[in-house]
Amino acid sequence: MDISLIQAQVESEIQNLNSLEALEALRVKYLGRKGLVTELTGKIATLPQGERAGFGQQVNALKSKVLSLLEEKRPTLGGQSSKAQIRPCDIGMPGIAHELGHLHILTQVTEEICAIFNRMGFSVVEGPEVETEFNNFTGLNIPLDHPSRDAFDTFYLKSPLDKLGAGKSKEKLLLRSHTSPVQIRVMSSRKPPFAVVVPGRVYRPDAVDASHSFMFNQIEGFMVDKGIRFSDLKGVLEEFAKAVFGNDIKMRFRPHFFPFTEPSAEVDISCIICAGHRSQGDQQKRCSVCGGKGWLEILGSGMIHPNVFKNVGIDPKKYTGFAFGMGVERIAMLKYGINDIRLFFENDLRFLKQF
Amino acid sequence: MKFTYNWLKDFVDVKLSPQALAERLTMTGLEVTSLDEREGDFIFEIEITSNRPDWLSVVGIAREVAAITGKKLKAPHLRSKGTGKLRRQLPFSIKIEDKKDCPLYTAKIMHGVKVGPSPDWLKKRLELIGCRSINNIVDITNYILFTYGEPLHAFDLDKMASQSGIIVRRAQKAEEIVAIDGEKRILDEDILVIACASDSSIGRPVAIAGVMGGKDTEVTEGTVNILLEAAVFNQVVIRKARQKLALQTDSSYRFERGLDSETAVSASWKAVDLIQDLAGGNLALSKEYGLMKAKGKVINLDLELTNDILGVEIPAFRVKQILESLDFKVKAGGKNRLVVAVPSHRQDSGLPEDLIEEISRVFGFENIPMSLPLVLPRPTIRSARDLVSIIKHTLAALGLNEVITYSLVDKGLLEAFHIDAQTSAPEIQNPLSIEQEVLRPLLAPSLARCLAHNLNQRQESVDIFEVANTFNNSPSGLKQELCLAIALCGTKRLLLESGVIDDKSGFLHLKGVMEALFERLAIGEYDFAFEDNSSIIGISVAGEKIGMMFSPEKSSLEKIDIKNKDVFIAELSLDALLAKMGPARKFIPLPKYPAITRDSSFILKEDILVQELINVAIEKGQPFLKHASVTDYYKGKQIPEGYRGLTISCVYRSDSRTLTEEEVAPVHSQICAALSEQFGAKLRQG
Repeated sequence: MDISLIQAQVESEIQNLNSLEALEALRVKYLGRKGLVTELTGKIATLPQGERAGFGQQVNALKSKVLSLLEEKRPTLGGQSSKAQIRPCDIGMPGIAHELGHLHILTQVTEEICAIFNRMGFSVVEGPEVETEFNNFTGLNIPLDHPSRDAFDTFYLKSPLDKLGAGKSKEKLLLRSHTSPVQIRVMSSRKPPFAVVVPGRVYRPDAVDASHSFMFNQIEGFMVDKGIRFSDLKGVLEEFAKAVFGNDIKMRFRPHFFPFTEPSAEVDISCIICAGHRSQGDQQKRCSVCGGKGWLEILGSGMIHPNVFKNVGIDPKKYTGFAFGMGVERIAMLKYGINDIRLFFENDLRFLKQF
Repeated sequence: MKFTYNWLKDFVDVKLSPQALAERLTMTGLEVTSLDEREGDFIFEIEITSNRPDWLSVVGIAREVAAITGKKLKAPHLRSKGTGKLRRQLPFSIKIEDKKDCPLYTAKIMHGVKVGPSPDWLKKRLELIGCRSINNIVDITNYILFTYGEPLHAFDLDKMASQSGIIVRRAQKAEEIVAIDGEKRILDEDILVIACASDSSIGRPVAIAGVMGGKDTEVTEGTVNILLEAAVFNQVVIRKARQKLALQTDSSYRFERGLDSETAVSASWKAVDLIQDLAGGNLALSKEYGLMKAKGKVINLDLELTNDILGVEIPAFRVKQILESLDFKVKAGGKNRLVVAVPSHRQDSGLPEDLIEEISRVFGFENIPMSLPLVLPRPTIRSARDLVSIIKHTLAALGLNEVITYSLVDKGLLEAFHIDAQTSAPEIQNPLSIEQEVLRPLLAPSLARCLAHNLNQRQESVDIFEVANTFNNSPSGLKQELCLAIALCGTKRLLLESGVIDDKSGFLHLKGVMEALFERLAIGEYDFAFEDNSSIIGISVAGEKIGMMFSPEKSSLEKIDIKNKDVFIAELSLDALLAKMGPARKFIPLPKYPAITRDSSFILKEDILVQELINVAIEKGQPFLKHASVTDYYKGKQIPEGYRGLTISCVYRSDSRTLTEEEVAPVHSQICAALSEQFGAKLRQG
């Protein structure tokens, strides 16, 4: 039968309907398993290749037309719109729980940072948290009796031997105050070249407040090879900062002093809140994140000091290298706008589940 | 370090605004931490790094400003001989017990000074940088300290027991002095003092060397004759003294960082000039003892090395210019080489790298380009860290939240959990508070405390884990071990389509988590078993115990404020687990023939263990039984007291053909019969 003819027929038949039963009968007549439209659909496959597409489209158009006519008619007969019937559920109901757990935000930030350096060819190494004075200080060109050590207040361990009144000759053990001792461990056990990042917990006897914690996390990185330059340090750290904070940030390297690097630089990024635009004016209007300076310090870095190389048996005439270190909490606080370092260690689920 | 804009201008012509100057200083390594305008002047506060004692003075900063702005220092050399004329030299002895403690001591005696208030300009300068004005003599010593960086001390000569000499010596044990701040200090052999003594006696201390003067020889209104001290003391000695006495002063701060003789000598003459200007008096004695001049250091600088380390070409003339602007003396030393003489105030410089730092600093880090190094790929094997990452991600995917708790804890917490804190936990020598007494030998107590916090915040269900090192004193020394702890507590309310289910955490939840984790790590050979006569469940992998599951006693939990809740904790050694990691998984071909599953429900005494039933089923079901497991269990109306219902599901399959019902039925019956015979299991119908 001609397609347009069928359509006209449906249109006239549906006009004269007056019950839902009749409407259902009409649906079966045309769209049912043996309905006219269904029959036409079955025909498509029997047609020559060239005619199939055109005919198929016409049949589909007819089918949609009939469906929409049925839909229009149904409410006039007091029936429910079939839309309600075809909904298998109320999707506004809560999903059947597959509660997702969360990695601690510090783990996430650590993984993110390590992954950035991994992609640049750095490998991840870890070291012990209980260290010797040599690895934590002396090896790193920090003399035990020098003011440069004051930046590293340190927890010492009571030697269990002390209790017995022995063990005086043994080197004192301490909780590492930075991840840099791993530099000494790696450099004295491997041959250059190497490019390494070191994440881990560090400890300093600081009174706890919103910005100080006696335990925190650092990531240390260093690279040693022939011909490593300060410009390489700048390049690598720029890649890092942009990967973490976005391409729009500006960076600056400020000369500084660390006993284990020379030249040394502190690295700032432009304030991620005010981008330096709220640096002028009175105290009240100044940006609270950068304190109106427009810059945020994110890490310390420099070229590895020749004395450090000598301490681990690497020839500083042959090799050069750079090193850097950052606080993971600081990066996380800046990146996510977290204003109190204690939140990381309080482990309130309402905090943990935000990340 | 504080100074003011106008004070600085005495020594260098600054054309930059205070703000622009602050920016330049910061970018040269003198980080300006605050800049405030007050009384028509600007107060700069600078964080001076510990390697640069020469910057702890206005002149030192002026030298830097001159270098970075291309100006000349107005008073480049401090070698003033002073205008004070020495009329007659008094007999005065300077005795130094150990030259290493005090490489240089200079003494000047002035007679007839008039002590009074300082002129306004001097008062204002000192007060702007937060130094209280005392009287003209004391103010002058402070002014010289801040201007030239050399701490001076003025004694009232007439109040000294002997006016004819001093001795620089270590204090005697328990020797005492009342310092200018009025506090009595008990001294010992680590502390250096100035004592007044002319003869061979040890005399009485009149000052804690390099730290603070004594109260009873202080310059006051009635003072007429003064002894002015300018010295160089050993850095380490002064450091130890101020640490022992917990007394940091502007003097100790500078001595600890290192001062040079030339500055001491010239600053002392500057002070004499200023005293004569402002307080009158005559110079009656000038005497020095020790090294007047440090040995000059010379550094050979390779310009190629400089450019190689920095990654930028800085022309030779510019290098020379920068070094000379910082008072280094530069001579050509062959092709691409400079011979650089270090000025006395730069004791920090001794290596070519020290000069390279100076060159790069003044050249500007911002003028050094960025480059990327060539990193040789280093294939790394899968490390423990990667596995830890898999563990963490798996646990999070299972709905647990990761926590990070302090590695340091109080002994009380460990004792609450019956852990022997005295012997097993490494003790901290210098904790700031009780929370930092020991390194924890176990993670579980910290996690329990973490549960307590969250339960307090009205969380109904808390499932957490932590991966961290634990620390134990062992006979062979301190042992650090990487551990995983999981803690579950509370009831989860699951809203299912069939309604709400309250799912209360228990050991089986903990077991389920562990099993999923082992599956993820491809660890097949594991076991959970109660330890003998104990409620602790041991976890073993490949036959070795690697951890445990337990539920802390109520009394332990109450001590950390968890009431009426059960807590389930697993703690295991990841070091041990990772050592047990097997080889990579191997593909097992999929079964070619379908399986037949038979479920049978039994009623059994409660004390019969599932594992025993399964073992019997497996034994009796060979060769077709591939798998047997409990798929349902229940207690309730139809089950008598002391019994439980269990459904055991048996999967039969052959690897060579499709099994028939007829083959499986007798095997399954055999299993049921064995269970009935051995355990009194009663088959339930239906």
